[in-house]
Formats: sequence, structure tokens, C-alpha cells
Amino acid sequence: MNEILKMKAKELKTKICSGELKSVDAVKACFERVREAEPKVKAFLKLNEEQSLKQAEDVDNKLKTGAKCGQLEGVPIAIKDNIMVKGETMTSASKYLEKYISPYDAMVIEKLKDAGAIFVGRTNMDEFAMGGSTETSAYQKTANPWDIERIPGGSSGGSAAAVASGMVPFALGSDTGGSIRQPAGFCGVVGYKPSYGLISRYGACALASSFDQIGTFAKNVTDAALLTSVIAGKDYRDPVCEPNERIDYANDIDNPDALKMLKIGIPKQQVDYKTDSEISKYFNDAISKMKLEGAEIVEIDVPAYKYVPALYKVIMCAEVSANIATFDGIRYGYRSPNGINLNDEYAKSRAESLGYEVKKRILFGTYVLGAKNYRRCYRQAQKVRTLLINQITEAYKKCDFIFSPATLQMPIKFGETLPEECDIFLTAANLAGLPGITVPCSFTSTGMPMGVHFMGSRFSDAKLFIAARAFEKISGFDANKRPVF
Amino acid sequence: MSKYETVIGLEVHMQINTKSKVFCECSTQFGAKPNANTCVVCASQPGAIPILNKKAVEAIVKTGLALDFTINKQCAFARKQYFYPDVPKNYQITQSEPPLCSKGKLAINVGGKEKVVNITRIHLEEDAGKLVHEIGGRKLDYSLLDLNRASVGLMELVTEPELSSPGEALAFLTELKNIVEYLGTSECSMEEGKMRCDVNVSIRPIGQKELGTRVEIKNMNSISGVRDAIAYEVERQAEALKSGGKLAQETRLWEAEEGITKSMRTKEGALDYRYFPEPDLVPFDLPDSFIEDLKKQLPELPKIKKERFIKGYGLSEYDANYLISTRTIANYYEDSLRFLQDKKAAAKPIANWISTELNAKLNASKIDISESPVSSQNLAKLVSLILSGVISGKIAKTIFEEMYEKSSDPEVIVKEKGLMQISDESAIIKICEEVIAESPKAVAEFKAGKERAIGAIVGLVMKKSKGQANPQLVNKILLEKLKS
Repeated sequence: MNEILKMKAKELKTKICSGELKSVDAVKACFERVREAEPKVKAFLKLNEEQSLKQAEDVDNKLKTGAKCGQLEGVPIAIKDNIMVKGETMTSASKYLEKYISPYDAMVIEKLKDAGAIFVGRTNMDEFAMGGSTETSAYQKTANPWDIERIPGGSSGGSAAAVASGMVPFALGSDTGGSIRQPAGFCGVVGYKPSYGLISRYGACALASSFDQIGTFAKNVTDAALLTSVIAGKDYRDPVCEPNERIDYANDIDNPDALKMLKIGIPKQQVDYKTDSEISKYFNDAISKMKLEGAEIVEIDVPAYKYVPALYKVIMCAEVSANIATFDGIRYGYRSPNGINLNDEYAKSRAESLGYEVKKRILFGTYVLGAKNYRRCYRQAQKVRTLLINQITEAYKKCDFIFSPATLQMPIKFGETLPEECDIFLTAANLAGLPGITVPCSFTSTGMPMGVHFMGSRFSDAKLFIAARAFEKISGFDANKRPVF
Repeated sequence: MSKYETVIGLEVHMQINTKSKVFCECSTQFGAKPNANTCVVCASQPGAIPILNKKAVEAIVKTGLALDFTINKQCAFARKQYFYPDVPKNYQITQSEPPLCSKGKLAINVGGKEKVVNITRIHLEEDAGKLVHEIGGRKLDYSLLDLNRASVGLMELVTEPELSSPGEALAFLTELKNIVEYLGTSECSMEEGKMRCDVNVSIRPIGQKELGTRVEIKNMNSISGVRDAIAYEVERQAEALKSGGKLAQETRLWEAEEGITKSMRTKEGALDYRYFPEPDLVPFDLPDSFIEDLKKQLPELPKIKKERFIKGYGLSEYDANYLISTRTIANYYEDSLRFLQDKKAAAKPIANWISTELNAKLNASKIDISESPVSSQNLAKLVSLILSGVISGKIAKTIFEEMYEKSSDPEVIVKEKGLMQISDESAIIKICEEVIAESPKAVAEFKAGKERAIGAIVGLVMKKSKGQANPQLVNKILLEKLKS
């Protein structure tokens, strides 16, 4: 494999800026790898080879004149297909938006453009990010690069698979209930979801507004932190985006003493869930390794974990039912030619263009918000959400991070069903607005990667990166190992 | 009819007077080209997020403060879901519980009796766009969507069912409109759709406690239309009950041209709006200082202004009522007074000029006083000219005509045309002597004891002086001459 693809994004950027490496060569290397891997992985819905090379050339020419070098100057990146890039299609992997062209840039895209990043392609996902396997995409199934008969996870499966197979150094995803961190775990890459409000959601196609966050995929923690530094920050166009100083998360990320005295909380509830035996084994190994580095392991008690799947489903579906309502065939998107009156046109436009999972969630969300069900379903779920948040807040009095396997099961084959508690420790972060990061931990006996997950308190993102980076160094995971095609 | 009593509640929507929409940065300008005032937020493109306009919250809180409301500090929004093409998100962002303002009141005066009407709430929400089904009278076989109005801020005010006649509803809306216009928080024009009113009407036998079957009426486009619709509906309901019929709980549309209400939909088809908290706009508390500052900014409201006009300027209740009837008239009045030195002396004549001459002209040309061709300063000058005796009241009326036609300055007119009143005795004596010489018949009559004949002689003097002679002086001099 091309040496360029083994470089960290940070290194790439430095070399491009110093003229040691051409951006064109970095982009070419990506597309060489695309030609090897993509026919089997199918991570991309759209690839912009010509345009990327042109952009890379422009970067190289610009740098020759001694122009200022952006934070990600000339570095290739993949974008999940639910983030708006002006003038480009944005399908959210739905037939409804097949021909939709973004009229504007998402805030993260504005920032990436300013930083000089090169968008090589749009990655596959579950339709409107609804799913955990990328199988609900209306266009194609993405394979797990480590075993192409298995799912990459989802909903950001395309981004995870693209990074895992080495087609791009990093990628953007979105995470509503684990949609970055679960596929990162399944594919053996770093996947990070920020604290709710750290990164503007402006321009990310909404799934469940109170959980949605844009986040990052990378081969290593430092690159994920670097990318986060570029896209994080206050944006008045997203009112939940909170004021914060511009932080360089990648700077000072290497702290040799990071694990010393760190209190790692392990939920007592973990044993209540069926966990893959190898995942358990490597997870316990990970705990031992951190202990050796001086971390203190404490047990924490969050009884409300057991409600996570139910309350996530109720609140998420409720918000979905309202957010997806705008896709009515009137102003843009698919319009059925068969409608005989307004209501019929609504019904047929939606029936003919939305997938099964989307319809199921709309129906369920509509049900839980109905006048007869609101109190016992939606409001009850919000109360339990508060309970969960309170219990987690209490737990953070005893520990710095909550540590768990990224997923409790290994990726399944296409068509199989994951147990719904598979990623409850990830979803809890969305319900409580907390930052979480999946770090690859080990390869199992079948050669598949497994990951672990650190969850921090709200806006402890910088510390979270430092802890994750410290673990990465002792995990023993070979980040240079690449799937073979 | 007399054995029933009427129960009326109003739901009033007023477009909030802000430069930009309530949840995006688009302009609210009326009359722009279709869809010119739209953006990714109000046209609901994927990934767009609403942002709250602080000015809209201010307008609601101000209105609430002026109507004795309790201001709820928590500012929280909800999604009200229903499918219709003029609501691009297919939900409307509105407020459920709590609204920004709870429990207010407004005093109305009908037939000299004051009544305090309790108002349940005022909340903030966004307006819908507009569907166009015809162009220039030509019916289209498709519909066009104009989203210029989508997401313009609205305040919705809901009264308790305490009004008991069409006249009370009229008085309530007139008074409300007046106060809101004083506050400047809405332009309140029903004709432009900036104020809309839905009415709930029911009747019940006098003495019965339970309310009768409620009918909602929509589609009135003037305050008098609201009154007429209620009057019609009360009669229709009474007729139905008298003939042994039953009333349906329904929504009816007012057809202004026919002067009747028509059934639109019955309650069975009622929608479940599936309200839930708006996750994009996290609830927050209004700071106390925010509310305090708005309290300080409240302008003088009509009631207080009226008292001040009566006490301070010695105006009659009638004059004061006329002057405070709109904010623009009151402003015009006070602006005029500001230009005058002796306000006490000028207060009454200025009031008279506004309520009679100016009002008549403005009505005839359908112009609001704020756009009056006669500026408040020019009216002040005119009255000042009269008070200082430079011109007579009669000449003033002629001057006023020209002031209205050409927006001209009365001092300039007087100078250019030489219309100054003649108070120079020698000049008047000369004219009087001439007239006496020219009118032997009238002089003879007067001398024969017919004192009224002097009127004709005065008239001739005035005519000869082109109306400029000071009438008091003319009288005095003529009497002296004729009696000597």
C-alpha cells in the first residue's frame, strides 16, 4: 500500500505545506486505494476524482507562491451524505432526495473549505441516518472492510468503512444514537461524537434534533482531534451551539501521565447484557493495561441504563416524525406523479420514496405524540431521560470517564439483526448530551477489530481526547494493519 | 331573542412589527415579489435550524406589560404538527405551556359603561405562507406557493369567553388595536392581514350556567366584519334553537359580501396537532433586567394620555377622546403643540382644527394623518397667526385649503398674498368712509333706527378690504362714524 496512506493527516498536512509532498499525490493515492477497495466495500455514494485532483493542483500551485497554509491544506476527506455542500447532491441515502442539490454549505463545510480540505466523495449511510448497519440506504450496501460479508455498522457506515480501508485519512459522520462510534467500533477506527452543542448542526440533515451531532472518523485519535479543532465552535445559526473558546484539541494531546491517577468508571450494569466473549476478554485486558499505567478503576451505578433503548426510541422517533414531515414533495425532493389530490399526493410521494425503516419510525413517532399517548409515552420518556442524566452526573462524582466496550457484539452478516442493547453505552451519550469516543482496542480471533468507548462529562472533550490518545498508545492495536483486497 | 344570552371569546393574531422574521433573517416587508423574502430556514431546506428573533420576544412582552399580563420568564417553544403546503416544515413553531404572557386584561367602554375583559394569554408563533389559486381573477388549475409571509412573527392573544355582544367585541378589538398601535408592536391592519381574528360564539338561555354549543367563525377582514359576523351568527343560532334544532360544534366562514356564515368543517374532523417541545430552540429564562428595561420603554398609553390632555390642556372629554383615538392623531396633536409658545391658548384651537377641517380633508382623500399634507408645524403656524391677530379665522380657512393642496407654509402664503389682517385704524377709517359715501341707502336706514342695517355695511367694508380688515375694529369705527 502507498506510504502516503499510512501517514497521519497531521503529517500529511505538514508535508503538503512544506512542499515535501504534493496534495495531488495524496489525492491520487486515495483514488488508487479506492480502485482497490471500493468495488468490494462500496463506501461511497459519489466520488469526485476529477474535481478533487483539480482542487489539489490548485492547492499545490497556491502553496508554491508562498500562500498561507490552512489547517487541513490539501488533505483529502470524505463527507457523509447528509451534510450540505453547496452545489452538490445530498441524498441522505434516500430516494426522496435523489436529485436534491444543496443550496448552501453546512457550517462544518464552510470551516473545512476555509481550512483547505479536499472533499473526495460522499459516503453511504442508512437512509436519513436511520439504522445501525447502513443497510437501509436506498442505494447500496456498504461492506465491512475486514469481512465483506458483514455490516460496517451505521448509520455512518460509509465513512467508517472508507477510513478503515484506507481510502481516506479521515471522514465526517453524524451521530444521533451511536451512528459514528458504533461503526467505528465495527470497522476498527477512531470515531468521536462531541458534546451536544460543541459543533454546529447547521447544514446537517436532521434526524433527531436533540441528539444529532456531527463528528469525526480517523485512523487515530490525534487526527480525529485535529479535524474536530477545525469544525468545532460557536455558530449563531445553531441555537444549541454553545459559546466556547477555539480549542486546538490536537495540541498537547500527548500526555505521558494522562492515565496516572485517572478514575475510570465501569458501569455495574455491564454484566446485565449479553456480551460477545472475545469483546469481554479484550475489554478486561484494556482495563488491566490502564491499571498498569496508574489508572484507578471504580465501579459506577447507573440503573437507568436499562431504559436507554426504550427512551431513545420514543424520543428519537417523536422528533423524526416531525423532522421528516418537511419531505412532502411540495418544494423539493420526490413528487409522485400519481397523486389525485393534495393529501393523496403527500401520501404517495412519501410512500413511494421513503424506505421501510423511515416509515416505521414516522409511524411510531406519530403514535407516541398522539394526544392519547403523549403523557404515557413521550413525556414519560423525557422524565426517564432526566433520571438517566441525573444518575450519570452522580456517577461522574466518582470517576472521570465512563468506560465500556464500543459494542457488545461483533458485526453481524447482512440481513441479520443486532440486539437492541448492542450499543446502549453509546446511545446514553446522546441522551445525556455527552462526548464519547471509540478507540480500536484489538483484533479478535477472526481478524475483526473491536473497540472500546470512553464517555466524558459535558464539554470535557479536550480531556476525553487526551485520555483516548493515552489508551491508544498502550492498546497494542496495530493501526497500520489494513484490510487486504 | 331576548331569552338567550351571548358568550363570545376572541382569538386575535397580530403580525409582530419587526424588520426580520421570527426564526430567520429574512425581511418582513409587505408586498415584495413572491418568494423574494425566503431563505433555507423559512423554506425548510434540509439542515436548516430556526433562530429566535429577540425583537419579537420584546414586542410580545411589551404588549403583555401594557395589558397587565403576568410575564412568564420561561421562554419555550413547541411544534404544532399538521400538513399543509403553506407551512413548509409541516409543523408550526408556536408556544404551548407556558405562553410568554398569562392573565391580562383590557377595559372597554360600551354605551358609557366600562367593562374589564380578562385575556387568557399571549404567545409567540410563526405565520404561514400563502397559497395562490388565481392570478388576476383567472383560476389556475394548480396552486402557487409564496413563502414571503412564512415564519413572520405573530402574537396570538386569546380572551376569556367574557364578551356578550357584537358591540363589545367591536369595542375590544378597537381598543386592543389602538393600544398595540401605541406600542408599535404590530401594525394591526386587518385589511393587510396583519391582524386576524377568529371568534368563538355560543348562546345559552339566560340563567343557564353551562355554555352552549360553540361555533368558531373565521375569515373576517375588518373589525366591523367581526361585529357583523357575530350579529349574524347569534341570530342564526337563536333561530335554530327556537325552531327546535340542534347546533353543531363547527367552524364557519364569514362571507362578507353575502353577510352570512357558512359551515367549513365540523368538530368531528378535529386535528390532533401532536404538540411537543421544539428541540431546536432550547427553553431559556428571560432575565429580569430584560423585562424591567421593556417596562421603562413603554410609551404613554391612550387612557393616561387622555387624562393628561383633559387636565393639562383643558380639553373636553369629547376632544380628548378624538385625539387619542389613534396614536398617529395624538402624536400629530402633540407635535403641533410643541411648535407653539402659549400651549394653553393653542390647545383647544389646534384640537378643533384637527378634528374638523383636517379630519374632513383626510377622510375625503383617505390619507392617514401621519401622511398629512399639512405638517403639524404648518398647522401650528396657522393657529399662531390667528391667535396673534395676523389673520382672521375666515381667511385662515382659505389659507388652509392651499396648505392642504400644496403642503405650503401659511406664513409664506400670508406674505405672498398679502393676507395680513388690517388693524391699522387709519386704513380702516378710510375704507369705512368710502363705503359710507357709496351706500347712502343703508346709511339712511341705519340712521332711521334700523340698527341691523349695519351688518350690510360691515359686509361691504370687509369685501372692500378683501376680508383683511379686523372685524372688531370695523364695527367700532362704523358705529362712531354713523352715530356722530
